[in-house]
Amino acid sequence: MKCEEIAGLLPDYLQEGLSAEQKKTVERHLESCVECSEVAGLWKKLALIPDEQPSAAGRQRFEAMLQAYQTGRGDEGLTRRAPDKGASIWSVFQWLRSPVGAVAWSIALVALGAYLGLQLGNAKTNSQELAAMHTELTNMRQIVALSMLQQQSASQRLEGVTWTRREGQLDPQVLSALMHTLRHDQSVDVRLAALDALSRHAGQPQVKKTVVDALQEQQSPLVQVALIDQLVEWSDAEAAPRIEKLRQSPNLNPTVRQRADWAISKLN
Amino acid sequence: MLQVRDGDGETLGVLFERYHAPIYNFYTKLTGDRALSEDLVQEVFLRILRHRQTFRPGTPFRAWIYQIARNARIDHFRKSRPQVPFEPEMAPTVAPGDPAQKQQESELLHRALMELPEEKRELLVLCRFQELPYEEVARLVGCGVSTVKVRIHRALQELRQVFHQLQAAPANSAQRNARQNIPPRRLGHEV
Repeated sequence: MKCEEIAGLLPDYLQEGLSAEQKKTVERHLESCVECSEVAGLWKKLALIPDEQPSAAGRQRFEAMLQAYQTGRGDEGLTRRAPDKGASIWSVFQWLRSPVGAVAWSIALVALGAYLGLQLGNAKTNSQELAAMHTELTNMRQIVALSMLQQQSASQRLEGVTWTRREGQLDPQVLSALMHTLRHDQSVDVRLAALDALSRHAGQPQVKKTVVDALQEQQSPLVQVALIDQLVEWSDAEAAPRIEKLRQSPNLNPTVRQRADWAISKLN
Repeated sequence: MLQVRDGDGETLGVLFERYHAPIYNFYTKLTGDRALSEDLVQEVFLRILRHRQTFRPGTPFRAWIYQIARNARIDHFRKSRPQVPFEPEMAPTVAPGDPAQKQQESELLHRALMELPEEKRELLVLCRFQELPYEEVARLVGCGVSTVKVRIHRALQELRQVFHQLQAAPANSAQRNARQNIPPRRLGHEV
């Protein structure tokens, strides 16, 4: 048999998909043909490249991601893992050691000190002062969030997005930074987290507008699907034409197109 | 996967246990970059979470996760720097006790694999290392089964050529070094 004919059988021979007779034919050829025998030999030799074990850090990142995702989705999404007491104390300790944790407990200590000082020094502490202090704390938290949103590291920007979730009402500057993050951040994870954070502020007209505009700008199918999901969740009928426009984009990912079809049927 | 789709987060942990090492190895053999491979594995599981509603019951999960893995890599290289050239430091770790010759052969083979065009390398990785049957690979890359078989054969032929070139190159370099009294450069790295 010629090499050209064997070439048709060789791939099946390599995955052991030939009948006994065909296998014998191939083996007879391999005994006499150096080139085909080397090709078949290389397939076997590829097993010399061993598999590697991913690092333990990968598992930790996965668990952190899962936890962050569940926290982000609140109670609408996945069920949480059963709480592990040891792990949770350890994770709180780890968090306190992180830069954000350090800022947080520093603020807490300053607040506690100020509160005790006011309590001890001035028995006539009035509610106005407490309200002012509360406002001050809120402002500080928002400044922390704002500065973290501008960090180089994606994980720090993610932390920044998480900080913005702690406030019911967001300062316009923070809200604007979040919307900028959704549209322009390099990391898909950060953009997704920003979208989750913005989903709580649907009452602000510019938030809905940003989400609809982002639909045309985003290239990542993951973000596109998340944006479509969000618009369906808001039942924003005005978004339907924009989703339709996205659906007609020539190079659209098929999954996104399928999601867009579903969204249009829901919104109309 | 159906449990994950219906909101059971713990089940994703089970899927992670089962698939993160194969997906990681899919990436390391394709890119030769361990850190990037770790990042892409995270991206795959994040995408599973985001896209879990699009998983259709009755379809094979393995095909679905490899589709996600391929898309994540394509998206990554579309928006970022081109692939870094393969360096010996990225060569795979070899189990201790392997003879030196086998280690050198494994490194040369990995180098040869990395020099193949991306589509050919991907096919070899999917069929040989991930042990996906040709039918599954054909569905994954969107072509016929016979096309996959032809491409696998061509990829192996090209791998053979590159492997021979690389085998000849260190020998030439050793001869040159011997003439100049330069000790030969070590291939690979210690772990």
